[in-house]
Amino acid sequence: MSEMRDMIVDVVERMLKEKVDKDLVDTVEQGHWAPELWDLFKENRMTAVAITEENGGAGGDIEDLLNIVRLTGKYAAPIPFTETTFANYLLEFTNLQVIEDLATYMLCPDQAFTLENGKLTGEAIHIPWARHTKNLVTLARSKDGTHLVEINLSQAEIKEATNLAGEPRDTVRFQHSTTSQVSAVLSPDKIRTITTLHTAFQLALMTGAIDKINDLTVQYTKEREQFGRPIHRFQLVQQHIVHLAGETAIALAAFNNVTEALLMNKQNSEVAYASIRFEEIIQTVTTIAHQVHAAIGTTHEHSLHQFTRRLWSWRDEGASTSYWTNLVATQLMESGDSLWGYLTPFSKSSPLLKVEG
Amino acid sequence: MFHLPTVQFTQEQEQFRLDVRTFLQEELVKGTFTSKCDSWLSGDDPEFSKLIGQKGWIGLTWPKKYGGQERSTIDRYILTEEFLAVGAPVAAHWFADRQTGPLLLRYGTEEQREYFLPKIVKGECYFGIGLSEPNSGSDLASVSTRAEKVEGGWIVNGQKIWTSNAHLCHYMVTLVRTSPFDGKSKHAGLSQLIVDLHAEGVTVVPIKFLTGEHHYNEVFFENVFVPDNMVVGEIGNGWAQGLAELAFERSGPERILSTFPLIDELIQELKRQNNLEGLKQASKIVARLWSLRNLSLGVAQLLESGNGEDVSIPAALVKALGTKFEQSIPEITRLIVQTYPTLDAHRKIDRFMAESILHAPGFTIRGGTSEVLYGVVAKGVIAQ
Ligand SMILES: Cc1cc2nc3c(=O)[nH]c(=O)nc-3n(C[C@H](O)[C@H](O)[C@H](O)COP(=O)(O)OP(=O)(O)OC[C@H]3O[C@@H](n4cnc5c(N)ncnc54)[C@H](O)[C@@H]3O)c2cc1C
Repeated sequence: MSEMRDMIVDVVERMLKEKVDKDLVDTVEQGHWAPELWDLFKENRMTAVAITEENGGAGGDIEDLLNIVRLTGKYAAPIPFTETTFANYLLEFTNLQVIEDLATYMLCPDQAFTLENGKLTGEAIHIPWARHTKNLVTLARSKDGTHLVEINLSQAEIKEATNLAGEPRDTVRFQHSTTSQVSAVLSPDKIRTITTLHTAFQLALMTGAIDKINDLTVQYTKEREQFGRPIHRFQLVQQHIVHLAGETAIALAAFNNVTEALLMNKQNSEVAYASIRFEEIIQTVTTIAHQVHAAIGTTHEHSLHQFTRRLWSWRDEGASTSYWTNLVATQLMESGDSLWGYLTPFSKSSPLLKVEG
Repeated sequence: MFHLPTVQFTQEQEQFRLDVRTFLQEELVKGTFTSKCDSWLSGDDPEFSKLIGQKGWIGLTWPKKYGGQERSTIDRYILTEEFLAVGAPVAAHWFADRQTGPLLLRYGTEEQREYFLPKIVKGECYFGIGLSEPNSGSDLASVSTRAEKVEGGWIVNGQKIWTSNAHLCHYMVTLVRTSPFDGKSKHAGLSQLIVDLHAEGVTVVPIKFLTGEHHYNEVFFENVFVPDNMVVGEIGNGWAQGLAELAFERSGPERILSTFPLIDELIQELKRQNNLEGLKQASKIVARLWSLRNLSLGVAQLLESGNGEDVSIPAALVKALGTKFEQSIPEITRLIVQTYPTLDAHRKIDRFMAESILHAPGFTIRGGTSEVLYGVVAKGVIAQ
């Protein structure tokens, strides 16, 4: 990690540690809004990271931003930070104007709105934080193809709903509503990149939550005593600790490799592999954490569920694991190389590099 | 939780990978060797080792004055990956290259380095690992093979067991007790001696592996004289010296890739069958492999930068997770494609299946059992 990134990560982690506690997350889950936390992130220009300075951003790169997102996942920060920053990142990515206000996105191609003469029509579900944000960045389909569109949410009919973790996932309806900006038609490549980036943001959030669950669980095994000793002294509990540590280490390393690949603009399969692997990680981590915490972990009083419920929600948001499985399978089918050649691609391709299968 | 560094290969490193791969493919086509699973421990071929030696690919990281190439740990990682991915028979020189060389570079005398390293580099001098004894497996500090001081050297009596390839090896780094066992500090009084396996009083007796192959051995010592200049490092410091080897031993690609030839063949078979559903199932294996390789490379990078960070916990974790993965491959494969495993099968996938199934039980035992590693990792995590 760069020094600059170390510094950002440090500052953000301190902010989150100080400002986010279980009560705040509970309050927002009950439908309130956390203005102080949001303002703090905004004042510190964290919402402008990875937007270029000429477009009014704070500079920094996608790896910086994803690391902040990871931390918001680690503290279950109840604000639409991912939504606003990624929406803006996408606006810049598609050569549209970056916006200052709270924003969210809808990136599921199956739910694309209909775009006709600059007007948007249709309904989409599971839009994160729509009720609290001002602008929506969304996929929309015109007779020419798929676009990225920015539209003011004041024109929308919003029906409130939540995910398993009590995070806002609203239904949004437009009826001939006026768009603010419309991108050029997106190539299939560009849409795939958007899906890849979206998944990378989900992975960042999930990595943070996994890291936190590991911390909580290890800590608990030191505090909880039974039979006259801390429970980490029991070998079967130790086995849980090791499986948990293993999956957490794998998640962190996968995340770091994903962000680095994105930064170096390698359109490799890192995000796909990580996504497929996270499926198993989440199963293991949530099961073990609850088992080790036993009864106390099943209460609303304890904070464990704020992270496990988030993982159970986040893993189903964005492109599904079956999408990535299908992608890897198809690439393998089409690859003329051995599996080893496929896994260790060379940065400069040349016909020399083909290996007999 | 520890954050491991990521590794991006340089262009020179990619070129090196390509050179190694091209060479191995050519030799494979020529019939110099046959691909097999678990080739790093059960694929011994001294002729192949000499060929590798001629390429300068043994002792890759060692100083030039001993015949090495002074290349980086990551370069060696790449080389090892390429050997394992194609299932090349590298077992004969394996321990000398992976363990004995680094041990001598760290603790050996100049005389020992000058004598052994150039021979190892040529692929002509092989070392065995003499740790386990009949009554000392996981509890290694309890070894009872003893060495007594005499004029000019040491007299060794006792027995080692499970010594891989001792029948092919010239020497064995042997962990012995040089002062009596003390229950209060069990790790004291242990030393490492280089024993000439052809010396008087040494007897190597084969133990058949469950396949019937001759793989490991019992090694008996009856009043074997070991001269003073064959002591590695300090007398009494054997435990600490042995531990230092472990990070290298535990986290390399050989803890992930022992069954890689089978994975590769599974993918090729599914492609031939045009079986997209099968490939979807296999993509899980690919994702697991990728995620483990990230960890293993991260540890290699830490070892390379050598900034004193303790790598023993992540290294133990890599071995525990990696060996479980490689062990699972035949069981997953047989649910995706139909196979009939035999060691002399015509179909490559059937032969790789047979090799994998039969060798898999050892993966999570050799070099420290998973249970013991779990203990190491758990204690490390709790102490953080
Ligand atoms: C293929 C192969 C090659 C080998 N090559 C070599 C070699 O070249 N040189 C060499 O010196 N050795 C070699 N070994 C031996 C290997 O290092 C030992 O088998 C290993 O250290 C375990 O010792 P053991 O078999 O005596 O099992 P034991 O230590 O008797 O263990 C039996 C069981 O008890 C468990 N157990 C033991 N202690 C604990 C504990 N504290 N907590 C929890 N569980 C525990 C173990 O995990 C295992 O499941 C080889 C082994 C194999 C399989």
